[in-house]
Amino acid sequence: MDNIIEIERLSKSYDGKINALEDCSFSLKKGEICAIVGESGSGKTTLLRLIAGLERPNNGCIKINGKLVSSDTQITPPQKRQIGMVFQDYALFPHMTVEQNIRFGLKNASNTKINDLLSLIKMNSYAKAYPAELSGGQEQRVALARTLVLKPNLLLLDEPFSNLDIGLKSELRKEIQSIVKELNTSLIFITHDLYDAIEIADRIIFLKSGIMLQNSSVNDFVKTENKEIKKMISNLKLNANQLLNLMESKH
Amino acid sequence: MLSKLKHFKRDFNQWSLLTVAVALFVAIPLFSILINLFSGVGNMWNHIVSHYLFEYVSNSIILIIGTGLLTFLFGTSCAWIVAKYEFPFRKWIEKLLFLPLAIPSYIVAYTYVGLFDNGGTIIRVLHSMGLTIQKLDFMNIYGLIIVLSFSLLPYVYASTRVMFLSFPKSIYESSILLGASNKKYFFSIALPLASPAIIGGLFLVFMEVLNDYGAAKYYGINTFTTGIFRSWTMLEDLQSAVYLSALLVLLVFLIVGMVAWQRGRKSYAIKGNKLQENNFQRKKLKGKKGVFYIFILSIPLLFGLVLPVFQLIIWGVQTFDEMFNLDLFWTALQSLLVAFFAALITLITAVALIYFSKWNHFKKINIFKRIGTIGYVIPGAIIGIGIIKSSQGFITFFSENFNVSVGYLFYGSSLVLIYAYVFRFLSVTYNPLEANSLKVGKHISESSYLLGGGKLKTLFKIDLPLLKGALASSFALIFIDVIKELPLTLILKPYKLETLAISAYAYAEDEMVAEAALPSLVLILIVIILMFILKLDKRNG
Repeated sequence: MDNIIEIERLSKSYDGKINALEDCSFSLKKGEICAIVGESGSGKTTLLRLIAGLERPNNGCIKINGKLVSSDTQITPPQKRQIGMVFQDYALFPHMTVEQNIRFGLKNASNTKINDLLSLIKMNSYAKAYPAELSGGQEQRVALARTLVLKPNLLLLDEPFSNLDIGLKSELRKEIQSIVKELNTSLIFITHDLYDAIEIADRIIFLKSGIMLQNSSVNDFVKTENKEIKKMISNLKLNANQLLNLMESKH
Repeated sequence: MLSKLKHFKRDFNQWSLLTVAVALFVAIPLFSILINLFSGVGNMWNHIVSHYLFEYVSNSIILIIGTGLLTFLFGTSCAWIVAKYEFPFRKWIEKLLFLPLAIPSYIVAYTYVGLFDNGGTIIRVLHSMGLTIQKLDFMNIYGLIIVLSFSLLPYVYASTRVMFLSFPKSIYESSILLGASNKKYFFSIALPLASPAIIGGLFLVFMEVLNDYGAAKYYGINTFTTGIFRSWTMLEDLQSAVYLSALLVLLVFLIVGMVAWQRGRKSYAIKGNKLQENNFQRKKLKGKKGVFYIFILSIPLLFGLVLPVFQLIIWGVQTFDEMFNLDLFWTALQSLLVAFFAALITLITAVALIYFSKWNHFKKINIFKRIGTIGYVIPGAIIGIGIIKSSQGFITFFSENFNVSVGYLFYGSSLVLIYAYVFRFLSVTYNPLEANSLKVGKHISESSYLLGGGKLKTLFKIDLPLLKGALASSFALIFIDVIKELPLTLILKPYKLETLAISAYAYAEDEMVAEAALPSLVLILIVIILMFILKLDKRNG
């Protein structure tokens, strides 16, 4: 299987002082789901923004679909990377309706296509509503639909489950997983909750203070000898059987 | 080193170049002053140094200290009373205390003479009550301090009031539970916490004091700004005006440095959502304390608003038949047109500078934004002299190299005047617009880029519609500033241009103060309407 993304020795510092990310390398195969976990300030969001082209690296390079998009000498702007990203705050355009938000990235979208998409996300009756009139879950569905309608090669989600209650969270996890498989796209998402990562990701990257401490399949991740990861897993308070069930649930 | 070069090549784009170009173009007057310093002193410089310089420096410093003290005392007291106490007509008084800003200080200066001079309105009223006073002489430096203080007080009042209103209830309750009296709470907690806002307000007062020309000239007080005019117009020595301007720039930067240092030391942050907890119940004012507090509030209202407007109305009625004519309408129309175009072009320049620098990826260039927006701390007279000097350079360049005469473009049209307003008032719109765009957050624009929206599509469809309110407020703010502006307009206006400010100044200079009343009243009315629109805009979020 081809790699959708290849990252080599990527580093980013702000004002030349704070190392937000240091020497990070990894690759992801097409159709894979990758979770980036780590505490606040570990460099998760910086990594995602670098992939999206919203930040410029100090060192290293990023290739998407084999094409160099970020390096010391060149940068492909975000709009030309065929990447979709949903921010933690969803960043819906507040002065546009749900329909206008979805239409924004499309050049010639028929009304039928928009209506079908609205039905898919169960938001038909909210087509003319403004983001301020939506709940957190509805906002997230619109943000996701707005991105997916452009059929991105790679989807980036920044803390997609953080603002949701437990019921909605579990439902969305399943939805995202099935959408990614259905559209044959790849997904990189950030989470601080290891449970989310283990449940839907194929691969987990663990960052600490900008350094990548682990990059492995979920199976290898839960078996690691790394003390910090072991501590994180023990904090989930799951016994061996529950952990196994959780990992198998995605298959 | 090699990697820095590579990054420069990668990150420096057309927007970086445009950021630098716009900022440098706007700041030409300042560079012009600096460059002309190397041309040697003017022939009257020694005369100015031996006869006037000490007076310019000492008077400017006395004015800053005196006005600073009075605006601090009254601005902070009034802000505290309206923020913490309930009394009849509180909401009205709270709003009226902003209105002295609608009356330019030079107009307040004229009215004081009409009120307190021999045979003045107040003197006559006192006489009819049996009190015989010859006159209260305001035409001295102390009078000027009083005029400037009551005219500029809203700067301190506005910033401090917002700060006092934002204190969470819990801070007051904690200090009371710890045994502090109200007096101790005010001096040990409220005042230190509000100090960044007070210093911010005082800074604006200082800048306006140094910028004042009309009031100081009318009262015969020699300050830096009047000195710059004198050396240019009376002594006919532009080069000495450049040297005086450079000294004034030094004084301004000294103040800017001190304020930045003070603010840096005293930036107390009130954490988290505590600002939203403020459901402070205002105390009812009663008894002797109530009378005293109302007395304090009435002083700035009386001296900064009621008495000047009252005197202007008396003069306006006296000269109505003579002054209410087509000329007045024409003057008002010219004022409105100049202010409209100046506000529009300043707004466009601010938006260009904000977004060009945002789209530039070579962040070290952002220093140029600061250079372009430095105008608000540079007094109008300096900008005027800087522009005259640079215009002379351009005219000579075109005439010598291309044998083309472009003098009429510089001196015969309002282009140069509008350019000067852009430099002077760019930061008035730049700073709030930039703050508002930061408030909207970068994710919104970034989402647009990721959805395939280019820079211009994002600007026109996302960024600008979201800044609609801030754009309208900024436009109104510059409009107010331009319509009130005097020194810059006096220096750079084309011969035929007549504005309300210039008209009021010209009549007062010709000892026809009463005739200055109607143009002044029209100007004040326009400013009050705009302030009302600004308030409405704020209410609409």
